[in-house]
Amino acid sequence: MLNIHDLERRWLRYKIKHYFPYFIGGTLILLAFAGMMGWFATSAGTSASSQEADNTHKQESMPADHTTMQTDRTILEPSMRFVEAFQKNAPVVQTSSAPVLTPKPAITTLPPPKMLQMPDPAQSHSVASATNPDKSLSINRNESKTDIEELQIRFKETSNANLGLFIAKYHYDRGNYAEAYNYALKTNSINSRIDESWILFSKSLVKLGRTEQAKKTLQLYYQQSNSEAAKALLNSIEHGTFK
Amino acid sequence: MVENSLFAKPRDLFVDVVNAKDYIQIDSVSHMYQSLKNSVEKPLKMILLYGKPGTGKSMLLHKLHYDLSKHQKVFMIGTPIVEEEDFLRVLAQQIFGHSPRDGISLNRFLDIAQALTLPDVPIVLLDEAQLYSSSLMEKIRLISDARAVKFVITLHKTDKEDIIAKEHFQTRIWESFELKNATAEELKVYVQKKLLKANCFDVANMFNDKNMKLITAFTRGNYRETNKLLFALFSLYCWYEENHPAAIKYNALKPKWVEMAAIHTGLIRA
Ligand SMILES: Nc1ncnc2c1ncn2[C@@H]1O[C@H](COP(=O)(O)OP(=O)(O)OP(=O)(O)O)[C@@H](O)[C@H]1O
Ligand SMILES: [Mg+2]
Repeated sequence: MLNIHDLERRWLRYKIKHYFPYFIGGTLILLAFAGMMGWFATSAGTSASSQEADNTHKQESMPADHTTMQTDRTILEPSMRFVEAFQKNAPVVQTSSAPVLTPKPAITTLPPPKMLQMPDPAQSHSVASATNPDKSLSINRNESKTDIEELQIRFKETSNANLGLFIAKYHYDRGNYAEAYNYALKTNSINSRIDESWILFSKSLVKLGRTEQAKKTLQLYYQQSNSEAAKALLNSIEHGTFK
Repeated sequence: MVENSLFAKPRDLFVDVVNAKDYIQIDSVSHMYQSLKNSVEKPLKMILLYGKPGTGKSMLLHKLHYDLSKHQKVFMIGTPIVEEEDFLRVLAQQIFGHSPRDGISLNRFLDIAQALTLPDVPIVLLDEAQLYSSSLMEKIRLISDARAVKFVITLHKTDKEDIIAKEHFQTRIWESFELKNATAEELKVYVQKKLLKANCFDVANMFNDKNMKLITAFTRGNYRETNKLLFALFSLYCWYEENHPAAIKYNALKPKWVEMAAIHTGLIRA
């Protein structure tokens, strides 16, 4: 049988082992960087003392260097804290999937995991759908087509919202945004409380060039549901970062 | 147990059993299956299905058995009969309706086959042929050479050993098919179709390209390993469903739990 607590422990060990090389690498880079800055600072200091005229200027620029160094340090900090957290046996259940995502955001400037939740699958989907067509044979496409047709018939018969969502996703992933819109709409009318379906519906709208309607939908849905995912998508549409 | 557990049904779907009714059409596999069926109709003497353990050879053979037996005489030996005399006796019984009390010799077997003029060469499917001795394999070869029986056999492909080079098959007129591990995309099709077939739509929605890639990385696209991993994963979900339901996210699989399931099944060491 499953021993969850033992598994959790082993998982933690696995993650530490897995990220250990990154941790060492990160530390080395940090040290090298600090060393370089130190060298830079001392050489700047010596030149400053030899050039009396520019003395004040140089001294002003030195602290400036220190601050850039400090900001660089703070950017790298999250990944260190992340490893430390593991070593201290941080609460595992609550942190759940977040630790997996944190090491990379250490370099980028968009750390909040909530942002990552929604847009991410969409990105991987669109990448996949862009590469798919060349790989699969034409025979294969016919077969998949009959499969989706069968599912659509089943959806008509059962009106199962989860199936509707599945079909909507299927079409969205393949760039059939009108169909995706259509099935997400049907799904919403069967069950109006599925976050993902509203998200997919709005994303399809954007893809169909109806950005304003998408925003309005998301605003309304957010008012009703307080859905973080809806909010995140709305933000990314408004900032033009949604692709 | 939780009443109406959402994950118990998906879990039981991934028990590793082979049943023709559970066959799932995966593009590359059904393509191969079609060629396999065409080959059976050709005047070939032997057909070989090979590949690594867990790539779906037995499944394909069971499916072939299921489909062919609707229209013609076909006999399947799923568990190898390794005693030569027993093997020939069972075969004579099943395909020629002969029921000798004791084991029979090869010559006797060929005599029986010749005396009976069947409209078509009967088809015999042998699973796990790597378990037969080479002397029995040699007899199987002679039987197919005499066109008394047409064999479709499956073989493990062990790492070093090249089956094609095995002497039994070198001179024969035969065709061979190699089954391979699935790609991430194919594995996604496998998992989703299995879930959809059983009406587990909500759980099917939890699989996306990202977590399928993770699963494929752990199982290397092997169907049996994937079954094991998903069985463990849904067992985990069942546990959380009962003990800590708030931890479950319903829109996507948790990578952490996939990793935990991989640890549990020994796919990763920790
Ligand atoms: N096309 C398929 N449809 C449904 N299930 C499949 C399919 N292919 C493989 N499987 C699943 O994968 C599992 C392993 O496949 P199978 O037992 O056929 O492997 P095998 O190649 O015969 O392995 P071995 O060499 O160990 O005998 C099966 O239990 C089945 O659940
Ligand atoms: Mg087998």
